[in-house]
Amino acid sequence: MTRSLPSDWYPGTVPDNIRVDATAYFGSSYAFTKFRSRLAVGLAIGRGASLCDGAILDVGEAGCVTIGEFALITSALIICDREVRIGPYAMVSWNAVIMDSYRFLPSVISGGTTSRPFTGPPSPGPRESADRCRPVYVGNNAWIGFDACILPGVTIGEGAIVGARSVVISDVPAYAIVGGNPARIIRYQCP
Amino acid sequence: MAARDSPPTGYWTHGSLPPNVRIGSGSVITGDDVTGPLAFKRFTTDRHPGLVIGARSRLDGVLFNVGRQGYVEIGDDCYAEDAFLISECSIVIGHRVVIGWHATIVDSDFHPIDPARRIADAVACSPLANGRPRPPFVSRPVVIEDDVWIGPNATILKGVRIAAGAMVEPGAVVTQDVPSGARVLGNPAQIVP
Repeated sequence: MTRSLPSDWYPGTVPDNIRVDATAYFGSSYAFTKFRSRLAVGLAIGRGASLCDGAILDVGEAGCVTIGEFALITSALIICDREVRIGPYAMVSWNAVIMDSYRFLPSVISGGTTSRPFTGPPSPGPRESADRCRPVYVGNNAWIGFDACILPGVTIGEGAIVGARSVVISDVPAYAIVGGNPARIIRYQCP
Repeated sequence: MAARDSPPTGYWTHGSLPPNVRIGSGSVITGDDVTGPLAFKRFTTDRHPGLVIGARSRLDGVLFNVGRQGYVEIGDDCYAEDAFLISECSIVIGHRVVIGWHATIVDSDFHPIDPARRIADAVACSPLANGRPRPPFVSRPVVIEDDVWIGPNATILKGVRIAAGAMVEPGAVVTQDVPSGARVLGNPAQIVP
């Protein structure tokens, strides 16, 4: 039995295959318009965590997103075909993209409303076959700036800061500050 | 073989299309309650047609900000999600092109580069313009060939040709032509293996 959210501007519902702490906050069921996970738990969201209005969980059939306690996700896009894990107390700013997969053809693959024949996803080059889909981990207390992109396979260390509009293509050590496109280490925060 | 429930002609989910839009069968321009109605809010081109879309393309939450002289063409089987297409001359997109969430494609600077002319443009764009003409600015056509894949938050700037099968990584800012099959990354975008 699906449920809807109180005073939700979007006329949608929250899927059944999610594990939600009673204190977690959802801004809108709009977040689930592209949620297609068929796992028993396609989203786990912890105590006091927030998934604010405008956030989008574009989760494929085998995808699982985990959001730790007190994590704060604003209007970001999470593309997940396997695993995206966001640690406790992490903050993800608006329009950030966290993706574990180079797909993002949700409506095309599922047929969308046009139910049209599709010739298959366009080939995105040699990376496609080797590592199209690699889990992404955002560590405890990490902070992702707005418009940043976190690409497949990246691990953001505990307490790290990713500057606004950065594009992160490799792992970020704990407590590092990274910025740029592609992102580089700027300095480390003093513990 | 068309799917049985494909509509005979393309349509926009949030209104009737402007008269200078040509859209092929099975294509749909859609969006949510916020983005859907805005698709043509800034579609002011005088050209006929000003927008051509092929068959079976899906444009979800795309904004067609097409100025007086602007023109946008999109081929068959394309997919774009919440992208911004901003044209003052011409943006031509091939078949089977994927344009990621919040990607931006522009074919113009939209304002002059020269500081003095920029002041004149600010005045001409102001509420006090009184019909004063705007100074000229640079626009160059953008061409995106077949099977190109453009990641979310990427930006394609004026005059760029992205050749067939190329891949633009998320967040890349493309300022120069991209050869066929290449993968580009960064700001400014560089070719990477």
